[in-house]
Amino acid sequence: MVVGELAHERDVVIVGGGPGGYHAAIRAAQLGLSVTLVEKEALGGVCLNKGCIPSKVFAHAAQSMTSVQHMNDMGIEWAHVAFHPGKLQQYKTKVIGQLRQGVEALCKANKIEVIKGTASFLAEDRIGVEKGDAFDVYRFRYAVIATGAALVAPAAINVDHKRVLNAYSIYGLEELPNHLIVYGSDYIALEVATSFRAFGADVSIVLESDDFVFDSSINRELQRLLKKMKVKVYKNSRITHVESEQEQVTVSLAVKEQETVSLEGSHLFVSCGLKANVDGLEIDRLGLKRTKEGFIDVNERAQTSLPHIFAVGDVTGGPALAVKAIKQGKVAAETMAGKQSEADTTFLPTIVHSIPPIASVGLTEEEAKEQYKDVRIGQFPLTGNGYASIIGQKDGFIKVISDADSEMVLGIHMMGAGAVELISSGVIGLEMVGREEDWKFPLYPHPSINEGLLEAVEALRAEAIHLPPTKQKGAVSS
Amino acid sequence: MLEVKLHDIGEGMTEAVVIHYFVKKGDYVKADQPLVEVQTDKMVAEIPSPAEGTVLDIFVPEGQTIAVGTTLLSLQTEAVGHEQAKEQAAVTVEAEVETESEPVVSEPIGTNESKTKPQRILASPYTRKIAREHGVDLSLVKGTGPAGRITDEDVYRYVQGQQAPQTTQQEQAAQPVAPTVEHEPATVTVTKEETKEETIIPFRGRRKQIAKKMTQSLFTIPHCTHFEEIDVTELIALREELKGHGMNISATAFFIKALSLALKQFPIFNAKLDEENECIRLEKEHHFGIAVDTEDGLIVPVIKNIEKKSLRQIHEEAKALTKKALENQLSLAEMTGGTFTISNVGPLGGSIGATPIINYPEVALVAFHKTKKRPVVMENDEIAVRSMMNLSMSFDHRVADGATAVAFTNYFAKLIENPKLMLMELI
Repeated sequence: MVVGELAHERDVVIVGGGPGGYHAAIRAAQLGLSVTLVEKEALGGVCLNKGCIPSKVFAHAAQSMTSVQHMNDMGIEWAHVAFHPGKLQQYKTKVIGQLRQGVEALCKANKIEVIKGTASFLAEDRIGVEKGDAFDVYRFRYAVIATGAALVAPAAINVDHKRVLNAYSIYGLEELPNHLIVYGSDYIALEVATSFRAFGADVSIVLESDDFVFDSSINRELQRLLKKMKVKVYKNSRITHVESEQEQVTVSLAVKEQETVSLEGSHLFVSCGLKANVDGLEIDRLGLKRTKEGFIDVNERAQTSLPHIFAVGDVTGGPALAVKAIKQGKVAAETMAGKQSEADTTFLPTIVHSIPPIASVGLTEEEAKEQYKDVRIGQFPLTGNGYASIIGQKDGFIKVISDADSEMVLGIHMMGAGAVELISSGVIGLEMVGREEDWKFPLYPHPSINEGLLEAVEALRAEAIHLPPTKQKGAVSS
Repeated sequence: MLEVKLHDIGEGMTEAVVIHYFVKKGDYVKADQPLVEVQTDKMVAEIPSPAEGTVLDIFVPEGQTIAVGTTLLSLQTEAVGHEQAKEQAAVTVEAEVETESEPVVSEPIGTNESKTKPQRILASPYTRKIAREHGVDLSLVKGTGPAGRITDEDVYRYVQGQQAPQTTQQEQAAQPVAPTVEHEPATVTVTKEETKEETIIPFRGRRKQIAKKMTQSLFTIPHCTHFEEIDVTELIALREELKGHGMNISATAFFIKALSLALKQFPIFNAKLDEENECIRLEKEHHFGIAVDTEDGLIVPVIKNIEKKSLRQIHEEAKALTKKALENQLSLAEMTGGTFTISNVGPLGGSIGATPIINYPEVALVAFHKTKKRPVVMENDEIAVRSMMNLSMSFDHRVADGATAVAFTNYFAKLIENPKLMLMELI
């Protein structure tokens, strides 16, 4: 191995082809840099192959299931409705394949060299790539570490991917669980719970804390809807032991760390923690600064403690969301190209493709009350929205929080039809430092769920049209 | 609790006026975030927060003059419990480690998220881009837009007025490096400094103040400057005659008096434009600023009520104020309240004309240039050797027009060319 003498020269070497990595690659290529992207598995990363995309295929299918009853109400009838998990798997594989080909084609079109192999840093400006028997050395001006993070299950639980599943393996199931126990309070746990319930599985949720992680109003509505769906929720409960057998799993719960409850199910889903994927990368040789949790420490330009080496996405810790990785990837590329760029996650939208969906940006009511003296709350239930009635999805509401002094909007929280698409109106408004009138002045398409956002803002001052005065008063003083 | 006091910001100042608070009671502040702006005799300074915490109380109202050592406000710093103390220790250690790896790190690395939620920045994404492109840290910029929003203009204003913090930051960054001389990084940094060919002059204090005022004036006032030449032969003769009587009155004193007399005829040049209330306020009193060149740069002491003072009084006061200015002993009262400004660059030699920048928010400024003997065609078509002086007058073209300005300097010229005429104005 002759290191250094036969090094290939590149402007940028990117390790990892997930959303963070491939966005960095394409943006860097757009800005005129020569780019090599090293991926050891498949382009698209966890997001496309195991995470966001597969889970959303399931969520979409589940939502479609729930609309069957509604279609019947409208006179669209079937003699027999059945769900075949195996066929959904084929559909999932097809969608993933198409999207991955799309990413591959874009990399090619942008003249990005994609290498399948395993990378490790040799020096501050050199990286080795092992592919089969070959070992190539690349000399780079800039490098991007976009290697993601791996799921780490709680110590008491052994994930066997048969009866005990994590966020990746749950969407590989070819059969429908009889009774799925969901352990976790994050967005993945909620999506799993509501999707599989819609397919017809019995579902129980085990929460370690005493509630879900959203704004209190959403937590409340969520509990009501889960009850309506006949999903049982165990709060303040920790799984201490799992017995995985041929046909079932038995879970021991410590409730409030006192009594022990035994729970039987056919499958157990476990929400996991994350650990940075840095093994084998040899970054300690470079002395890159790490966080306490072992993630790579970066600044707002996604630079590590070596400014010419960037890190983006899950490997940098913080919220493990593709939206953050995508932004950091672009910012990294733009910074390399000499542009002044910045990633700021203050108004990172949080979304859950649950049934109904949840979307949220900015401060929760609780956070707002901590930071501002006088806070106004406007809440509008979708039962008052005409379009929600048309599509038969009247569950949920839109909630807006503003500072009474400056009228600045502080947070927007939604649950119900259209929430995931509509939240962008909230994100943009918050980034523009919008105040109440900035949402009230514009015109909203009619009829549509959008109008619910308008009425929620109007409800801040008891001015929502489709809400009786008594209800608005209640919302303001809450 | 932590008390923030007016500390000695150097240059021998003993008191300062509280101009503006950037924070209010209950605000959360970061370490080094500017808390309050104070003005001393010579400069405007920002007092940064010594620590992270919450503003408990503000003791001194804006506009009040206070002595060095006075407590301005109090801060509630974060309660340092056992755990936090440990964490802080850990942070300090990390910071040192960072310093050691300095050679390759050209820019400071911001710390990552983890526990604290990111602080909301009250600026639109477009404004934030402008700030980034100008290297402006928006947490230091005061927003003037709706609900305290930072506008594009706020950023540009900050860029124009406040280049200094960057220098300060560099200095601060350099400080932690200094004690670790035995480490390689420090040596590297020093070498870098030495190889730089440029010489660095700190841009703060009076220089920064001058820059700020000049920018404000030139960006606000549509300046118009006209030139005039004045025959000062008779004035020189009069001064010689007075010397014979043991009275040495400077030419500047005559200029000031004559300008004051001219202002009585043309009060529009002794005025202030009040745009907000859509009016021009004519000042009854003639307070003259006199530009003085000192080692630290331009400074403008003010002689009050010229209209009520004799030539001798004006002469004595101008002399005393100039001396104080050169010795850096002017009080704030002696530097403020001007209604008109003159700049006598004649004694410096050279200079036949200039386009002086008006001392905002005044309306006009007159500069006097070197007096030279020149051949002049007299009224009877004979050529005579006369002492001639050029003057440049800048005025606010929003308030007055060129014809008025010419009439003004004509009147002034008449008085100087025939100094005896000034007798007619004796009260």
